[in-house]
Amino acid sequence: MARIARFLGRRLVQAAGVILGIAVINFLLVHLAPGDAVEVLAGEAGGAGDPGYVERLRARFGLDRPLHEQLALYLWNVVRLDFGYSFRHGTDVLDLILGRVPATLLLMVTSIAAAFLLGLVLGVTAARRVNTVTDNVIALVALLSYAIPLFWLGLMLVVLFSVMLGWLPSGGISTVGVDQSPLAYAADVARHAVLPTVTLTLFYMAVYTRLMRASMLEVTGHDFVRTARAKGLSERAVIWRHVLKNALLPMVTMIGMQVGSLLGGAVMVEMVFGWPGLGRLAFEAILARDLNLLLGILLLSSILVVAANILVDLAYAWLDPRIEVR
Amino acid sequence: MGGFWRRYSRRWASVLGLALLALVVAGAAAAPLVFPADPWDMAGAPYLWPGQETGFPLGTDTLGRDVAAGLFHGARVSLLVGIAATAAALGVGILVGAVAGYYGGIVDDALMRLTEIFQTIPNFIFIIVLVVIFKPSIATIVLSISAVSWPALARLVRAEFLSLRRREFVQSCILVGMGDARVILTEILPNCLAPVIVTASIMVATAILIEAGLSFLGLGDPNVISWGSMIGAGRTSLRNAWYLTAIPGLAIVVTVLALNLVGEGLNDAFNPRLRPRAATR
Amino acid sequence: MLGGSRLLGSMAALLMAVLAATATAQEQPVRGGTLRITVPEPVMLTGAFNSAGQIYVISPKIHDGLVAYDADFNLQPQLATAWTISADGKEMKFTLRPNVRWHDGKPFTSEDVAFSAMKVWKVAHPRGRSVYANLERVDTPDPLTAIFRFSQPAPYILNALFSAESQPVPRHIYDGTDLATNPNNVAPVGTGPFKFTRWERGQYLQLDRNPDYWDTGKPYLDRVVFRFIPDPGARTVAFETGEIDAGAGIPVPLSDARRLAGMPSMQVHLEGDEAINAQTFIEFNLRRPLFQDVRVRRAIAHAIDRGFIARNVYFNFATPATGPVSKDLKRFYTADVPAYPYDPALAQKLLDEAGLKRGSDGIRARITHDPLPGNEFYLRTAEYFRQAMQRIGIAVEIRTADFATWYRRIYTDNDFDTSNYAAFNLADPTMGVQRFYWSKNIVKGVAFSNGSGYANAEVDRAFELAQIEVDPARRTSLFQQMQKLVMGDVPNIPVVDLEWLSVTNRKVHNMIKPPLGPHGNFADAWMKP
Repeated sequence: MARIARFLGRRLVQAAGVILGIAVINFLLVHLAPGDAVEVLAGEAGGAGDPGYVERLRARFGLDRPLHEQLALYLWNVVRLDFGYSFRHGTDVLDLILGRVPATLLLMVTSIAAAFLLGLVLGVTAARRVNTVTDNVIALVALLSYAIPLFWLGLMLVVLFSVMLGWLPSGGISTVGVDQSPLAYAADVARHAVLPTVTLTLFYMAVYTRLMRASMLEVTGHDFVRTARAKGLSERAVIWRHVLKNALLPMVTMIGMQVGSLLGGAVMVEMVFGWPGLGRLAFEAILARDLNLLLGILLLSSILVVAANILVDLAYAWLDPRIEVR
Repeated sequence: MGGFWRRYSRRWASVLGLALLALVVAGAAAAPLVFPADPWDMAGAPYLWPGQETGFPLGTDTLGRDVAAGLFHGARVSLLVGIAATAAALGVGILVGAVAGYYGGIVDDALMRLTEIFQTIPNFIFIIVLVVIFKPSIATIVLSISAVSWPALARLVRAEFLSLRRREFVQSCILVGMGDARVILTEILPNCLAPVIVTASIMVATAILIEAGLSFLGLGDPNVISWGSMIGAGRTSLRNAWYLTAIPGLAIVVTVLALNLVGEGLNDAFNPRLRPRAATR
Repeated sequence: MLGGSRLLGSMAALLMAVLAATATAQEQPVRGGTLRITVPEPVMLTGAFNSAGQIYVISPKIHDGLVAYDADFNLQPQLATAWTISADGKEMKFTLRPNVRWHDGKPFTSEDVAFSAMKVWKVAHPRGRSVYANLERVDTPDPLTAIFRFSQPAPYILNALFSAESQPVPRHIYDGTDLATNPNNVAPVGTGPFKFTRWERGQYLQLDRNPDYWDTGKPYLDRVVFRFIPDPGARTVAFETGEIDAGAGIPVPLSDARRLAGMPSMQVHLEGDEAINAQTFIEFNLRRPLFQDVRVRRAIAHAIDRGFIARNVYFNFATPATGPVSKDLKRFYTADVPAYPYDPALAQKLLDEAGLKRGSDGIRARITHDPLPGNEFYLRTAEYFRQAMQRIGIAVEIRTADFATWYRRIYTDNDFDTSNYAAFNLADPTMGVQRFYWSKNIVKGVAFSNGSGYANAEVDRAFELAQIEVDPARRTSLFQQMQKLVMGDVPNIPVVDLEWLSVTNRKVHNMIKPPLGPHGNFADAWMKP
C-alpha cells in the first residue's frame, strides 16, 4: 500500500508540472494568433460605425494589458482553478465546460468500451486462427474501419440510417421541443447516441483488434503458457486463465493513450452529428477566438488525460503485481 | 535482402499493400504527364457524373473541374503532406529520443516531461489550434501534424536506446573512446531503425487522414488540390453528387490501407519471430 | 419517420402538395404545435445592441418592435399604434399601445422606449451610433407617448424601427447596469408573442407562447424551438427527416436548397428578405498601387463572368449584380450605371493599356485574395476568381482564415489585395450601403466598414444629402447618382444579388411574410397538425 501511495504522490507532483507546462505553452500559443474575441464579436454583430465599441469591449476583457501581465494573471487563476469568463457565451468557462462534459463522457466511455470489447473478441479470434482466412478477414475489416475518414463514415451512416431507412435521428443529443419523462429522455438520448458512437467505435476498434491479436500471439509464446499446456489444461482454460489476462496489459495501456486522441477525434464526430460535447465547444472556441474558453478546455482535457494515465498505471500494477510501478 | 523480401512477402496482404502503394505513387508521379493542365481549371460543364462524358472519366465538380485530374494531382499533395509530416516528426522524435535514452538522468527527465506535455494535449484539437493560428497552408499543416506525432517516436527511440545503451558492443565502443555522436549515429541508431520504419509507415497514413479531416473542417490549404480539399469542396454536394466525396475518399482509404499493410509487412520482415508491434496512434 | 413504404410515402406527399396548392389560400390558422427552426447558435438573445444574423432571427419573437411593415414597407402598428412626423422631419411622435406588459408583468411605457433609444441603440448598437446619430433626445410627456427629437431630419429611421433592428428593452432591468453582462441578455424579458423558457447550450433554445400577448388569440404556436446544427449537410438531412421545420438565412448549402425546392414537402422561400437584400462583391484594397489605376479595376470587372457564378456557385439563387444597390431594393435601384460585361479580351487590352504587361512567365501581377469564412460560396467564388484572373495573366493566391484573422486583415491592418464577402443592403441605403463607400467610414478595426479605402467627394456628398433629405423622390435620385459614380470608379465589383432564402416544411404557414420574413415576430405563424 505504501508503495502505491509513494508512487501516486510522485505521479501527482509530475502531473502538476506537466499541466503547468501545458498551461504556459497553450497560453503563449493562443496569444500569438492575430485577431481576438472582440474582433469576432464586433464583426459578427455586423458592426460598422463605431470603433469605440471595439475598444470598450477590449478594455472590459483585459485584452489591452501587456502579454506578461495577462500570463501571470492567467497562471494565478489556473492555480486557483478559476478558468475565467467566456465573453462570447457570457458565462463562466467552468460552467460551460462542465455542461458539456457529460455528453462527451457518454460518447467517449461507450465508444472506448465498445471498441475495447469488439477489439478483444476480434483480436482473440484472429490470434487463435492465426494466418487463416478468418485472421486475414478480421485484419482487413479492422484496417478498413480505420482507413475510412471518420467524418465521411459519419455522413454516410447518417444518409443510410436517418435519411434512407429513417431508423435513427440524424443529429443532436435529444429530441427538442417535447417534454419527456426521465426514462423516455434516457431512451431518447440512447437513440441519438447510436450513430456517433458507432462511428467512433469503428475507428478505434482497429487499434484494439490489432493490439489484442499481437499481444495474444506474444503471450502464447511464453514459457508459462507452454507449461500450462503441458499440464494438460484444456485450450479454453489456457486462453482464459493465462493468456488473456496477460495479453490485456497492453490493451489497458492503450486506453490511457487514447483518451487524448479520442477527445480530438470527437471534434469531427461532434461536428457531423451536432453532438453538444467538448470537442465541438473547443472547435467553436478556436474559430471565435474565445481564448479563455479554449484554454480552459485544453487544460481540463489535459488534466483528464493525465488522470486517465495515472489510473491506467494503477490498474496495471493491480493486474500484474510483478511490474515495478515507475 | 532475399530473406527480407521472403519474410515481407509471407503474407499476401503485405504484397497487395505494396502494389497499391506503388500504384498511388505512380499516379502521383504521372500526374503532370497525364493531366498537364491546371487541375483547378474549369474544364467542363459542372456536375458531370463519372462516365457521363468522355474526357471526364470521373466526372466534374461543382465548378466544372476535372475530378480525375484532381485525383492525380491530389495524390502528390496528400503523399507530400504524409511524408513531409512524418519526416519532420522523425527528425525531432529521433533526436529527442536518442539524446534522452543515451544520456539518461536529468536530460532524460527533462526531455520526457516535454514529450509528456506534447502527448497530453488532445492532439487533433492541438493541430487545429496550430493551423488556425499559423494560417492554413501546406507548410503549417505539415508542421502541425509533426508537432503532435513526434512524441510517440521519441518514446519508441528512447526505449530502444535505453536497452541498446547497456549492450556490450555499445559499451566497448564507448570504452575505446568513440565520441557520443558517433556512437549514437553509427552504433545504436542503425540497430533501432526497424521499429522506427514500421511506425513511420503508419504515421504517413495517419497524417493523410488528419489532412483530410482538416480540409473537412475548412482548414486545408486553398491553393493546392489534395484529396482532403476535394472532399472538403464536395461535402456540401454530398446528397446531389456523392461521387465528389466518394472518389477522393476511396483514394484515401486505399492509400491508408496500403500504408498499413506495408507497415505490417515490414514488421514481419524485421521481426522474424512474428512479433507484430502495437499499432501506433 | 418510421420505415414505411416509400411508394406510399411519395404518393401521400404528392397528394399533400396538390392539396396545399389548392387550399393554402382559404385555410384557417390552427392553434398549437411546436415550430422547430435551425439557426447558428447566438451569443445573446437580445438584438438591442447586437445585430448578428441569428439574433436578428431569434430576438424579434421575444421582443416586439415599435412598428412592423407591410409588403410595401408601409409602417404597421406593433408596440406603437400611431405616429406623426413634423413637417421639418425633426420630430417623430409615437403613441404607444396601452396595457402592454413585459413578460415579468411590469407595464411597458414610453420610459422604456426613451431608455432603449438613448442608452442602448444610440450608444451600444453596432449600427446605432450612425443610424441614431442625429437623435438628440426622447421626450416622454406621458407613459404612452414618446417623442423622438432630431438635430437633422433622419427619414431613413422609418426603415429601422422594426424589432430586429431597433429593439425596445425593459428599462427596469437594464437601467444602471452594465449592458454587456446583464443576465437578461441570455434569459430575456420582452413584450413579444413568445417568452424565453430555456437555452441548452450547444443544443437548442426554447421559447413558449406568451398567453398574455396584447394581440389576443395570438400567437397560434405553442412553442418555438431554435436548434443549433453546426454541419450544413446535417441541416439538410434534418429537413429531410422532419427533425426541423424551418431555417432562415440560407440554412442549407445552395446545391441542397435546389434539391429541397424540388421536394413536395418542402418550400424554399425567396420572399421575406426584403429588409435584408444581400449582395456579394469582390473588393479591392485601393491602398495598393496596383488598384489605384481604375483601368486595372475595370479590366478585372470585365474578366468576371457573373452569370457563371450565379449559376454554378449560387445555383441560380442569385442574379448577376449591376451596382452597389441590390435590384431587390426597388425603391432606390437603378440599372442606368456603367456596366462591365464579361469580356476577357477587353480586360487584357485594358491591362496592357495600364502598362501591366505579361512577364516571361506569362504573369502580369501577383495578388492575394481573402474570402470571408463561414460559407462555402465565398471560397467557391474565390476559386472562380483565381482561375478567371489566371486567364488574364494575374496570379491569385487564396488565403483562407477564420473570422478573427479575416476581420483583422481587412479592417484593422488593411493587409489584403482583394477579398469577397456578402453584405446586407438592408431596407435603406443609408443604413446598408453607405457604410461601404462613405470616406468618413474608413475606420480601422470596424467590421463591414469602408474596407477598400474608397474616397470620392461626390459620392460622400450624395450619401450625406440623402441622409437628411425628407423628399422621397429627391432622396432616390441622390442614391441613383451615387450608384453611377460608384460604378464608374469600381472600388469593388458587385458580383451577385443573393436571395437570403428561407426553407420551410409545407406544414408551416404564415411564417415567411414579406418584408421581414424570418425576422418578423411569428405571431401569425401556424402549423398544420
